[in-house]
Amino acid sequence: MTRTRRDRAAGADPAAPGATRPAAPPAGPPPAPGAAPADSGEGLAARQAELVAALVAGGPLPPGFAPGPVAAARRALLRKRAGDVARHWPLLAAGLGAGWSATFAEWAAGRPTNGSLRDGWDLARELRDHGRLPALGAEELASREATTRYDGRTTPRPRRLPAVARAGGAVAVQLAGRVRLLRPAHR
Amino acid sequence: MTSASPEPTPTGPYGVGVGWRPEIAGFVAGLPGLRFVEVVAETVNPAGPLPDGLAELCERGVTVVPHGVKLSLGGAEPVDPARLAHLAGVAAAVNAPLVSEHIAFVRAGGLEAGHLLPLPRSREAVAAVVANVRRAQAELPVPLALEPIAALFDWPDDELDEADFLTEILDATGALLLLDLANVHANARNRGGDPRALLDRLPLDRVAYVHVAGGAEQGNFYHDTHTDPVPVEVLDLVGELCVRRRPPALLLERDGHYPPAAELRGELDALAAASGYPVVT
Repeated sequence: MTRTRRDRAAGADPAAPGATRPAAPPAGPPPAPGAAPADSGEGLAARQAELVAALVAGGPLPPGFAPGPVAAARRALLRKRAGDVARHWPLLAAGLGAGWSATFAEWAAGRPTNGSLRDGWDLARELRDHGRLPALGAEELASREATTRYDGRTTPRPRRLPAVARAGGAVAVQLAGRVRLLRPAHR
Repeated sequence: MTSASPEPTPTGPYGVGVGWRPEIAGFVAGLPGLRFVEVVAETVNPAGPLPDGLAELCERGVTVVPHGVKLSLGGAEPVDPARLAHLAGVAAAVNAPLVSEHIAFVRAGGLEAGHLLPLPRSREAVAAVVANVRRAQAELPVPLALEPIAALFDWPDDELDEADFLTEILDATGALLLLDLANVHANARNRGGDPRALLDRLPLDRVAYVHVAGGAEQGNFYHDTHTDPVPVEVLDLVGELCVRRRPPALLLERDGHYPPAAELRGELDALAAASGYPVVT
C-alpha cells in the first residue's frame, strides 16, 4: 500500500492509524483504533480535503486514485450542480436552452460552489459582462438585482428601499418588496 | 435509541412509497394507497409551516421520513450541531418514526462537494462515521437509518470490502440500514462486484426501507441520476432482495425530468409487483 500521498498531503496527520511512515510523531499519544475523529481523523480530514479540491476546485488528483473514474465523478458533480442552479435560476437556464449544461460547466469547472443562488448570480453577471446573457436570463437578473442586494462575496440580502435594476435592456423596479419588469430585455 | 428493531412498527415505513418533491406534490397527493413518503430534510423549515401538500399527507396518516443529504456523517470532522438540530427538528415537525442519512461526506477543507462522496473503506473511516453517527443518535428523537451511496470511484487503500465496511458501522452504532438497490446496481456496474453476492452478505434484518431509482449509461459509466427510468436490472434486484428477505418498505426516488403521471404510476406499480406489496396508485 502506497503512503506517498501522506508525504504530499500538507497538514496530514502522520499519526493516523496505519501510518507507518513519517517518522516525526505529533504531540500527543497515537490514537487507538475506534478512537473519535478528534484523535484519528486528521489524516482522513486532509485526504478528504484533497479529494474535494480535486473534484471541485481544480486541485491535483490525489495519489493512487484512478484518473478516469474521478474525472467522471467531476463531470457528474458539475451536472448535478447545473441542475441545482437551474432550479434557482429557471429563466437563465431556459434562456440558454440546450446550451445550459455546457455553459454552466465551462463557468463552474474548477470554481467551488458558493451555493446555487450565488453561483447562478455570478454566472449571470459574467454572461452579462460578455454580452452573452440571453433575454430571459437578463430579465431574471434584473428582477433579482432589484429585490436583493448582492455584493458578489457574501450572502445576498433583501433590499429595504425601492430600487431599479437593468440588465441586457431589461428594466425591473422594486417597491416594498414587489418587483415588476418595466421593460423586457433586447431580443 | 440505538436499539435496532428490524420489525416494522405500525407507523414505520410500509409498502411502496415515493420521494415527496414539490414538483410532484399533486401527483403524490393523488395516490390513494400511499402510506409512506420521504422528504429531503434540508428543504423543510422545522419552525415554519410544512410545504404545501406535505402537511396534508401527515394529516392523512402517511408516514413521512426526513432524508438528510448534507449532514456529512462520513466527514472526518464532527458533524455540524446546527445541521443535526435541523434534522431533529424536521423529524419532530413531521412526526417521523425515523430519519435517514448517508454513509458519505459532502464537504471537506472548507469546500462543498455538492453531492455525496465515498469514504475509504478503512478502519479510520469506520471510526469517523461511527463517531458522527453516535453524535447524531444522541440528538435525534428517533432512530437513524444509514444509506450506502453510489460512487464512480474507489479510494486506493480500502481495507474492507463493502459488506464488511457497512456491517461494522451498523454493528457499532445499532443504526438501521436504508438499502438503495440502484446504488447497489451502480456500484457493481462501475466498480465491479456481484450485486447478488453483496445482498447475500448484508444484514438484511436491519433494513428499514429500500430506495429504488432510475439512472442512465453515459460515458462508459452508469449514473444514478434519479432523472431517468428505473432500469430492469434494478427491478430485478428488488426481486432478488425479496427472495432473501422482503424489506418493510420500498421507495421510488425521482429528482427531476419528471415524466407524465402515467409513467410514474407505472414505475410505482412495477415496484409493487416486484415486491408483492399492494399497489398504491
